[in-house]
Amino acid sequence: MILNLALIAMILTLLIPMYEAWQDDDIWQKMLAFASAATKCSIMILVVSVLRDDWMIGVVGVIILSVGNAGLMLLAHVLKRMNDLANE
Amino acid sequence: MINLLSYTCIVLGIFFWFWGTLPLLGDRSVLFKLHSLSVADTLGSMSIIIGLLLKIPSEWPLLILAIISLAIWNTVLGYVLAYCSSSEGSHE
Repeated sequence: MILNLALIAMILTLLIPMYEAWQDDDIWQKMLAFASAATKCSIMILVVSVLRDDWMIGVVGVIILSVGNAGLMLLAHVLKRMNDLANE
Repeated sequence: MINLLSYTCIVLGIFFWFWGTLPLLGDRSVLFKLHSLSVADTLGSMSIIIGLLLKIPSEWPLLILAIISLAIWNTVLGYVLAYCSSSEGSHE
């Protein structure tokens, strides 16, 4: 019951970075919002895995936490490189 | 007792999440938002995971891995985003 309420509160916090990513046009603000949303989603997946007592969902959450953040880092470097090339 | 402690950790984590994410909505600079995100958001996530760990100790390898990757990745990603978003040419 309390974990259900916690999950609802987490979905409410997830709406904030989604709204920010939708209404802001600056690419770095969007990246920031997406990084926040990725972390929140993976923590929510971990909570669901504990709620349902299911290991395999939790493994997905941990993979998103490590590989997803690595992907965001690579994407930031690609964006910086594109900006540099456009300014040359 | 353990149950109460774990719920306290989770509620504290959600409080930190709100605290760290609400500055995203303002008109501040990227670095200001990055700071609040990387401090309060990471602490909140770690607190939630510790709450889950207290609740179900049998999944500890997975949850410890989650805490470690949170601690490492969020600091590294914070540095990378700050480096990439600041004006080019000033780092040579």
